[in-house]
Amino acid sequence: MKLPEAQVAVLEAASATEAQSTDRIAAETGLDPATATGAAFALDEAGLLAVSERAEASVTPTDEGREYAETELPEVRLHAAVREVGGEAALDSVLDRAGLDGPQVDVALSNYARKGYGEIESGNVTVDPDADPDDDPERTALATLVDGGIVDDESILDRLDRRDLIERRETTVRSVRLTDEGVTALMEGVEATERVGQLTPELLASGEWRDAAFAEYDVDADAERLDGGGIHPLRRTAERVTDVLVGMGFSEMEGPHADAEFWINDCLFMPQDHPARTHWDQFALSNPDRVDDLPDELVERVREAHREGVGEDGDGYHSPWSADVARGLSLRGHTTSLSARYLSGEAVGELEPPERFFSVEKVYRNDTLDATHLLEFFQIEGWVMAADLSVRDLMGTFTEFYAQFGITDLQFKPTYNPYTEPSFELFGEHPTTGELVEIGNSGLFRPEMLDPLGVDCDVMAWGLALERLLMLTHGFEDVRDVHGTLVDLQFLRDAEVIY
Amino acid sequence: MPVVDVDPDELRRLAGHEEKSEEDLLDDLFELGLEFEGETEAGELQLEFEADRLDRLSVEGIARSLRYQYGDDRGVYVPPTNAPEWTIAVDESVPEQRPYVTGAVVRGLDIDERGLDSLLQLQEKLHATMGRGRAKGAIGVHDLAMLKGQARKDGDANSIAYRGVEPNGDSFVPLDSDAELTPREVLTEHPTGDTYADLVAGYERYPAIYDDLGLFSFPPVINGRRTEVSPGSRELLIEMTGTDQWTIDRMCAILCYALSARGATIERVTVAYPDRELDRPDFAVGEKRVTHDRIERTLGVGFEKREVIDLLERSGLDASVEHDGDERDGLDGATGDASASADPTDAGDLTYAVSIPPYRVDVLHPVDVIDDVGRAHGFNELEPRYPAVGTVGGRGERSRHERAVRETLVGLGFQDLLNFHLTSGAEVFERMGLAPDDSASTPAGDPGAPGSPLGAAPPATIREPYSRAYTIVRTWALPSLLQVLEHNTHRSYPQDLAEVGLAARVDPETETGVAERRTVAAVLARTDASYEDAKARLRALARAFGAELETPPTEHPSFIEGRAASVMLDGERAGIVGELHPRVLVEHDLELPVAAFECRLDALR
Repeated sequence: MKLPEAQVAVLEAASATEAQSTDRIAAETGLDPATATGAAFALDEAGLLAVSERAEASVTPTDEGREYAETELPEVRLHAAVREVGGEAALDSVLDRAGLDGPQVDVALSNYARKGYGEIESGNVTVDPDADPDDDPERTALATLVDGGIVDDESILDRLDRRDLIERRETTVRSVRLTDEGVTALMEGVEATERVGQLTPELLASGEWRDAAFAEYDVDADAERLDGGGIHPLRRTAERVTDVLVGMGFSEMEGPHADAEFWINDCLFMPQDHPARTHWDQFALSNPDRVDDLPDELVERVREAHREGVGEDGDGYHSPWSADVARGLSLRGHTTSLSARYLSGEAVGELEPPERFFSVEKVYRNDTLDATHLLEFFQIEGWVMAADLSVRDLMGTFTEFYAQFGITDLQFKPTYNPYTEPSFELFGEHPTTGELVEIGNSGLFRPEMLDPLGVDCDVMAWGLALERLLMLTHGFEDVRDVHGTLVDLQFLRDAEVIY
Repeated sequence: MPVVDVDPDELRRLAGHEEKSEEDLLDDLFELGLEFEGETEAGELQLEFEADRLDRLSVEGIARSLRYQYGDDRGVYVPPTNAPEWTIAVDESVPEQRPYVTGAVVRGLDIDERGLDSLLQLQEKLHATMGRGRAKGAIGVHDLAMLKGQARKDGDANSIAYRGVEPNGDSFVPLDSDAELTPREVLTEHPTGDTYADLVAGYERYPAIYDDLGLFSFPPVINGRRTEVSPGSRELLIEMTGTDQWTIDRMCAILCYALSARGATIERVTVAYPDRELDRPDFAVGEKRVTHDRIERTLGVGFEKREVIDLLERSGLDASVEHDGDERDGLDGATGDASASADPTDAGDLTYAVSIPPYRVDVLHPVDVIDDVGRAHGFNELEPRYPAVGTVGGRGERSRHERAVRETLVGLGFQDLLNFHLTSGAEVFERMGLAPDDSASTPAGDPGAPGSPLGAAPPATIREPYSRAYTIVRTWALPSLLQVLEHNTHRSYPQDLAEVGLAARVDPETETGVAERRTVAAVLARTDASYEDAKARLRALARAFGAELETPPTEHPSFIEGRAASVMLDGERAGIVGELHPRVLVEHDLELPVAAFECRLDALR
């Protein structure tokens, strides 16, 4: 007969004549008590073993009891010491020999006489020659209990209890005894089935897996922490914005990060003496510092718009304008430079309305680094070109876009941008806090921007910092945690995937 | 954006609504686009607003806007002015860099300390905005009682002169000083002079204004003490000098409107240039023509003619129908969606001639008038609609490629990173063991150029950087990944990091002079990281994009000699792979080996 290893051990340890506690079986077999009990029940099920349960006062030796079972009861040690020196001795002299001190002395003395080991009188101890501590029932019972055996004699147990050598508790005691079938099985021979730790290709190929018993795992135990690869949360947000915009019919723009002032600012009808064009707001480059190659005709048209305005009733800026400033090279402060390149036909040729374009790309600003500002961040830029667009179309487009991110009830606050009119700051309710937060800036491009670029229809546009959207959707509080070389890997590893 | 401090009581008084609670007042101000930022210690409201409506830089201007908003005022208002008694004579000696002047006389002024503060604040805010820090326009306000001017010739008005003064010429006692100083001494010895010295740097002669008693103002730097204004001042002379006549005339108009709102009388002055005379302040009302159709198309709603005129008047503008091309006057009945009647012929040529008061510096084009109509109507009253415009969307090829490479890297177990493009020479060169010399020669550092270490290219350099940590655009991406490793030595390993991002170098051959490329970089930081680990992943990446990888040995100062190879993709040199040099690791406080690669994104195709 083949049985699992633990069951074989329990079966072999059990006796047909004497009931043994499962604890004892466990001790004998070296099995974990729970495993031994489990095996015993399995054997009971198979009829090889009888498990009996008694709700019983269980008796457990105390620490003191265990100590005495090992080193002998104090009175026994006293008895032995006195006998060694001839059967009579002064108490003081014999305590050392018996290895007794402290409270054990009292224990020895009070039990010595009670058990009739001899007498103690006036500091003298004698031995009763008939007394035999080897037969001491307390000693025997204690040894049995420490050994995992069962003691039935209540009077002995009471005495041990009084001496605090045992603790009695109501517990379920399971004891096992071999059944006849068990005896037969043992006589016929019982083998342990093989326990398989790892399922191997060999087991599978040979078919041995059919007879294999798999070692049980502690499936509840912690597994090793694994940090797999992952897309950066900010990138994931950029991808989602891209998905939404592509779904709304927008095509992607791309273009230079370092670009001529002409494309970054002049085409946007930003006066050349506008405060935002100083180094306080943007990063001009010193090497290289200028772009020689600008489309001359367009430069002239843009200059004209700045100086004279556009249309019969248009006024220009009363600001100086020079092509030299326009040739200056800067890191773009907004991706509207891409919009200018596309609208002018410079990027992909002349566009025929209707068109929708977008980008989610880096921009650079000389801002103060803090929890909500970085020197470089992603700007979502989008625009729609069509024959006839109104502010209502602009509002409708944003309403649809932001709804994709759970931001509804948009508010439009009229504002001022040099290159759009009318212009709006967009406010939306924070999905979790309910706060009204600024989520973008928008407007219809001014004729002074569109006319020189050769666009003779309407274009509405908007911009938004991607990081701001990320902070809204993820509840992040410090943008520096998210973007840049100061990033904490743990933060990336723990970041929840928002889709 | 500019912030103006406003006394709420004064605002209520000037707006004519003393009953307004602070809460109502703030709501009304928000409607105007003025955001409440907080209160000063003196209990004044700090209001932030957009930089277009510079006429709202003072409590008087804000009160005027409120009166229009409440409907208490309508249409264009131009303050009455009296005939000139003073002339500002412009001398030939005026510095050519600052040739323009304008001005006004103000009489019957009754202001207290607070009123004076408000005046000074307006002056300061105008300097900061339109005046471009006094460079384009600078305002001088003087106590007229302290000026002594004679008629230039018989029967003429009193006269002061705008002229040039030698740096070491006439002296005067400037504000906040007891000493007589020459203009040059003002620039070197007076704190205000020191602040504005840059504005007149390179001038042979300095701008100066004289009366009969001598020099009393040194624009755009400082006024003289003699004519200093006090709460007791009843009559003022305002002069403004600058580099553009229109700009100083507008600044002057805004200031005069504010003083007029306080009950003062504006008296014109004659500005006498050698070749022409101007009557100032310039309160000329401008005009823009805007078609009814354009208004409806831009706002997306239909209006009746009288509605438009009403909205314009409530914006402080006047409108008259200049050309009513539609004799049916059918528009008065047209309501609802303008797109339904978007054909311009429907609206005929109905055109409004709109009068623009002189303080409205923001109205350049008819669209600015339309914006006023929209604001008066209330933009939030408009119903959003999704434009019925069909377009086909799509990603750019580069962006799809970038995403695919990033996804492949993540599949290979890398954490995707997003690092700054801005960094410093120390990070991309010195700390990577690249000799700065390497960056001097062109076209070094191009992954496509044989024999030059990747990254050792001349970097695009910022002229005035925010800090020493951000002075250039990175020439390669591995230094950024090393920085991330450096900041995360307390986090568990392995740390396998990758980035697909931008790197750039100076290259005169390109359109902008900066060659920008997308680069793919990866590091494997683990106790047993080896060349093979990096190459195995690089090979998987190359294979995923159908590129054939070869790795002939190379040398690179950032890598261990004999453990670095050129990344050749389809026979083209595209980057580097290897084990980073211990010198680089120790420099970044790393205590375990790092294998790495970097290559051009566009080689993976």
